[in-house]
Amino acid sequence: MKAKLVEKKRKSRDLESDSESDDELGNGLFDGVLSASEDEEDYIPSDQIEEDESESEGSEGSDDEADGDDDDILSDDIPSDIDGETDMDKLRRDAEELEITEPFVDPKPKDEDTEGRNYRIEKDANGGERYVYEEIDPVYDSDDSDAQGPANTIGDIPLTFYDSYPHIGYDINGKKIMRPASGDALQSLLDSIEVPKGWTGLTDINTGNPLNLTDEELELVRRVQMGLVPDGLHDPHPDTVEWFTSKQETMPLSAAPEPKRRFLPSKNEAKQVMKLVRAIREGRILPYKPPEERQREEEEKEEVHFDLWQDEEPSAPNPMHIPAPKLPPPGYEMSYNPPEEYLPSKEEREQWEKTDPEEREKDFLPQKFNSLRKVPAWGTLVKERFERCMDLYLAPRVRKNRLNIDPNSLLPKLPSPAELKPFPTVVQTIFRGHEGTVRSVAIDPTGVALATGGSDGTVRVWELLTGRQVWSVKLSSEDPVYTVRWRPTKDAFILAASAGEDIFLMVPTHSSVTPTLEKASREVLAAGFGYAANGNTPAVAPGKEPAGKWSRPGTRLEDEGVLVKITVRSTVKVINWHRKGDHLATTSPEGQRSSVAIHTLSKHLTQIPFRKLHGIAQTAAFHPSKPIFFVATMRTIRCYDLQKLELVKVVQPGAKWISSIDIHPGGDNLIVGSYDRRLLWHDLDLSNRPYKTMRFHPKAIRAVRFHRGGFPLFADASDDGSLQIFHGKVPNDQLENPTIVPVKQLKGHKVVNQVGVVDIDWHPREPWLVSAGADGTARLWM
Amino acid sequence: MAKIKRKGQTGQAKNYMTRTQAVKKLQISLPDFRKLCIWKGIYPREPRNKKKVSKSASASTTFYYTKDIQYLQHEPLLQKFRDQKVLEKKISRALGRGDVGDAARLERNAARPDQTGKPRYTLNHVIRERYPTFIDAIRDLDDCLSMLFLFANLPSTTAVPAKMIARCERLCLEFQHYLITSHSLRKSFLSIKGIYYQANIQGEDVLWLVPYKFNQRVVGDIDFRIMGTFVEFYMTLLSFVNYRLYTTIGLKYPPKFDEAKDNQSAELAALTLEGAGLTTTAEEPKATIANGEEHGPDPKVQAEVNKLVKKLRFEDDAEKPDAEMAEGGDDGEEKPTDGIDKFEPAAPGGDVLPQPTYSGNDPSKLFSNCVFYLSRETPRQSLEFILRAFGCKRIGWDSVLGEGAFTTDESDPSITHQIVDRPIIQAATAEEGDGEDNQTARKLGPNQRYPGRIYVQPQWVWDSINNEELQAPDLYAPGAELPPHFSPFVKATQGQYDPTIPLEEQQTEGEALDAELADAQDEAESGEESEVENDMDVASDNDEEDGDEEEGEDEEEEEEEDEEDEEEEAALQRQRELEAELEGKAVKNKKVDPKVKAKLDKKKALERQKKEEAEALERAKGMLSKKKRVRYEQMEYSNNKKSGEAEKLRAKRRKLEKEKKSKA
Repeated sequence: MKAKLVEKKRKSRDLESDSESDDELGNGLFDGVLSASEDEEDYIPSDQIEEDESESEGSEGSDDEADGDDDDILSDDIPSDIDGETDMDKLRRDAEELEITEPFVDPKPKDEDTEGRNYRIEKDANGGERYVYEEIDPVYDSDDSDAQGPANTIGDIPLTFYDSYPHIGYDINGKKIMRPASGDALQSLLDSIEVPKGWTGLTDINTGNPLNLTDEELELVRRVQMGLVPDGLHDPHPDTVEWFTSKQETMPLSAAPEPKRRFLPSKNEAKQVMKLVRAIREGRILPYKPPEERQREEEEKEEVHFDLWQDEEPSAPNPMHIPAPKLPPPGYEMSYNPPEEYLPSKEEREQWEKTDPEEREKDFLPQKFNSLRKVPAWGTLVKERFERCMDLYLAPRVRKNRLNIDPNSLLPKLPSPAELKPFPTVVQTIFRGHEGTVRSVAIDPTGVALATGGSDGTVRVWELLTGRQVWSVKLSSEDPVYTVRWRPTKDAFILAASAGEDIFLMVPTHSSVTPTLEKASREVLAAGFGYAANGNTPAVAPGKEPAGKWSRPGTRLEDEGVLVKITVRSTVKVINWHRKGDHLATTSPEGQRSSVAIHTLSKHLTQIPFRKLHGIAQTAAFHPSKPIFFVATMRTIRCYDLQKLELVKVVQPGAKWISSIDIHPGGDNLIVGSYDRRLLWHDLDLSNRPYKTMRFHPKAIRAVRFHRGGFPLFADASDDGSLQIFHGKVPNDQLENPTIVPVKQLKGHKVVNQVGVVDIDWHPREPWLVSAGADGTARLWM
Repeated sequence: MAKIKRKGQTGQAKNYMTRTQAVKKLQISLPDFRKLCIWKGIYPREPRNKKKVSKSASASTTFYYTKDIQYLQHEPLLQKFRDQKVLEKKISRALGRGDVGDAARLERNAARPDQTGKPRYTLNHVIRERYPTFIDAIRDLDDCLSMLFLFANLPSTTAVPAKMIARCERLCLEFQHYLITSHSLRKSFLSIKGIYYQANIQGEDVLWLVPYKFNQRVVGDIDFRIMGTFVEFYMTLLSFVNYRLYTTIGLKYPPKFDEAKDNQSAELAALTLEGAGLTTTAEEPKATIANGEEHGPDPKVQAEVNKLVKKLRFEDDAEKPDAEMAEGGDDGEEKPTDGIDKFEPAAPGGDVLPQPTYSGNDPSKLFSNCVFYLSRETPRQSLEFILRAFGCKRIGWDSVLGEGAFTTDESDPSITHQIVDRPIIQAATAEEGDGEDNQTARKLGPNQRYPGRIYVQPQWVWDSINNEELQAPDLYAPGAELPPHFSPFVKATQGQYDPTIPLEEQQTEGEALDAELADAQDEAESGEESEVENDMDVASDNDEEDGDEEEGEDEEEEEEEDEEDEEEEAALQRQRELEAELEGKAVKNKKVDPKVKAKLDKKKALERQKKEEAEALERAKGMLSKKKRVRYEQMEYSNNKKSGEAEKLRAKRRKLEKEKKSKA
């Protein structure tokens, strides 16, 4: 069926083409039109065309040609076809249609124009008419269906550029495309009056023809301009469809009964309400008031007064609380009109101005105004108050006990020295003769002679009261005589002196020594030799050096009266006799184990009582009445019982370096002098620690000594060149403490090489004192 | 194993806390902590050993007791501070959001005492805690009053709001009114810093300083926030104290405040005192007397009233203001608080005890018979206060000095005393010769005087109250050179210089001798040319009077020298005598003025004694333990310093007196 339809069409077309060719043979203008009209059918698939061809064999030849054309057209792109379809073509087509209709109306004239035709009519094999066309020369610009009419090639430029020309551009072949005939004035007028449908007043850029748009197109443009959806059918606001409620559900979702709480008042709400109620009751929520009124009310509220201390009850103040100290009241100098003596002098003013404000004792200078009206405001009053405020809250408060007492009340009540007389006060005699330091002094038991030993190695004996030298001997040329001590009994007149490692025992002969006494003395010294000769000497281990070697010092010294020499192992610095005069203890600090030795005169025997000593021995002494032996090392004093041979007591004076000790004739008290400037009084019954510590000397104390003749006196000698006399009374009652009163400071010795007074000794009966100084003198004070 | 001890966990370290730790513990800002410390009276402590106490390596400076900080932890104010902080945060957040309305609403709730002068909190409980009894509060009133009086005189600035100043002023006036009515002001002193007042309130002496009425200069870096915190506390304190004081003397508190009068600077007169039950104005009696109607109450009526009052008193022994107070007249003496009870023996035979009096004179009567007029150059506030407090009922002043005067008319005939502080005009004195004479000065225009009244300078008032009697007015006449104004607060101590007594009574023996010697020397010098050598050096010593200090130091040396001199002199003398004897001539003694010689001897004796004393002192000092000796030396040092100052003042005075004498 289909094929038949095509055939029919074909036939009719054939007819058309016939008429065409009849009509306008030489009119090349319509070529395109033809092809265009053919085009519409050219979309028929080729096989169908072939079918057609096979069916319509008669027109095969021309068909072939046409086929070739058709193929071209098919190969050609469709857009070009559409582009090329200009207004002109349309117009032409319209005109053609009109013409096409003509042959149907009047086919005759066709026949008449056979001579002008470009074909010839021949007879085919069937005897039918056959139109034979002339062969077309397909030159470049021949009419081909491809060329879509005169396409303007001027490109993308406005047509107005060609306004002044007759053409409007160029076609593909470079030929001018002439301006299409525009209607004459009347026509244009008519056009203007009768706006054609779809008229836009615009001109097509490509063709220069007026651009008309269809209604649909115009509508589309309008919608785009309005910002609407271009599709006119789209409804932007459709009616809502209630999804759930639009339909009435007939069955309930749950069959549970309504809970009770839905019928009870809410507890939470009640709580909230109560909260508000409470706030209102308590006055936290107040009804609104205008601000002015509120402010006024507040001011009134401030004026609430009541007695804060209505039910006051005094409570004990916190012991840790320290009330702020009050500012001191103003004194006379702060007056606006002070007495004139308070006004600062020029120097005081300068001084005040010079000192730093923080270091000033007073923050103001007294000023005088002769009238009250002249007193200005105090410049720093605000600042002072501010500083007070700062002090109140920022200053740490410390309670300081200020002793507001007379300082003299601190001083002990000492009896006046006048009541404690007698004691030595002035120099009576000065003993000059020694070269260099006088190392030691001693007054003999009778109180007549004074023995001194000096650095020059001599021992001298003087008449005490006159100061006349009566006897002298040089014991050593190198070693100084460190110490001289008289034998403490009156039956003999024996002096012990040490020089270097030797201890000499001598009988200084002078006028006051009676021959009997001298003889007795010599006998005492000589007795030992006999003892030694008797062979009673204890056996000394062979190879071991004896502690002391007793010998005669040689004829020179023996002629002078020096009768015995004891040689020990190291330099002897201190000699102390036993009260009975048979023993003497020597101390040589460098001697280490053998630093303390006890010599027995009657047996010419030397013993070393200690195998080992705690520290360096400084001095050793016998107890005045008991068989007790004291050994002072640098720090401690040890008391040994000589009968039981045991340690009785260790006294600790607390001094760093003991220089000398002396035992009170009563035996219960002890004084200690130390190189660290202290004089210590020990009560041996009371404690190991000192009973009193006295610091009167700025320099070391060298010697201390009790008076042994009944006066409650003791003295010390110091390197500052002074002596101090103390009244030290030991009561008979054991319970009472001894009274110690300094009574006198004796100055006179000169300090040589930082050594002042070296040794002292009391007169055995009188309150007289002898001192030995580094200045080469010995002095008698009375 | 024993428990390991960590540092800062036991012992002293536990008792102390640094400020930073305290602030952290309380979780408040440092300014808030400061406020809290000021109000609660918490102050730093000084530990015995800082090193043991500090828990950190670096040295901390401020330590507080841990217990103190614990005590602060329970402070209700702390919560207020925190609330305030929260509020501030809310405001700042609202402002940050741009929510101005919300911020304004919150701002209205905020307490801004620095702007409004009143906080949202009260310090009542703090005051009660710090001062458990009223007398404790009175004891601590010195700083409070000084501070409030200062603030009452400050100009208002951003740091010191005007409201605060006004409140300070009012509280001060109220307090002054109490002092006036109770006559408890005792002393006052014009110093260069301001006017000191001392009052005796319930047996406690309170001393405070009021600046002169000038604009106070604010110099240096002064943190008014700190001052403001103190003032806040003090204002609360004084208002409670005032209440208590007013109620104890039967007055209503607060007194009526007349703003109109205050604006005209009436000061004291702006407040009207009222009795607790009945209303009476303090000014009323004054006003009636001012009108000259010195009407005593009708004797019959008075008797009736007295009876009634007695009855009332028996029934109710609460102190009630007397009925006659309303009538005016002689109310001052009859106040139950003022009068001193007289203890008279009811039955014969008992011992007579001294009557209770606080002073020889009743302070309420000192000026009671006087009518004062203040010239316009005098300090009206202080004078009015003092005069009133000492019994003066009628004070008039120039109208420029403000409202509230009894009269502003200078010519009022009732005026007995006029206080002036202006110089005598030269022309007048030249003509008159003596400006002190009232009678003659009166005739002149510029120095016009009204007859029959006493003209005095303001210092007269102060000296009168301090000496408890009216001073001789001629010493204080206008233009006269005023006698020195002495501080009434200085208590004379032994050895200190006292300017109120003559020099002879207080100088030491040595000084007196020196002075006499110097005098004698001067005389001798003026008379004779020849001088004994020995005297010469003594004289030169005396010339150095001003440099007394040095003398003290090398005293010992000099003494020694003196002694040696003495010995030498004696030896020389003996030598001379011997020589004379040999030659058979009379002894040639050098010419020495016997008086001078006697004095010299005396001096020498004094020096010898001094030396002996020094020796004894040295001996005694040696017997002291080290601790005691150090203490003794410290005391000696301070005493020497004090006596040195006194000596200097005495020397100055001696010099001045001498100059005066030589002039005269």
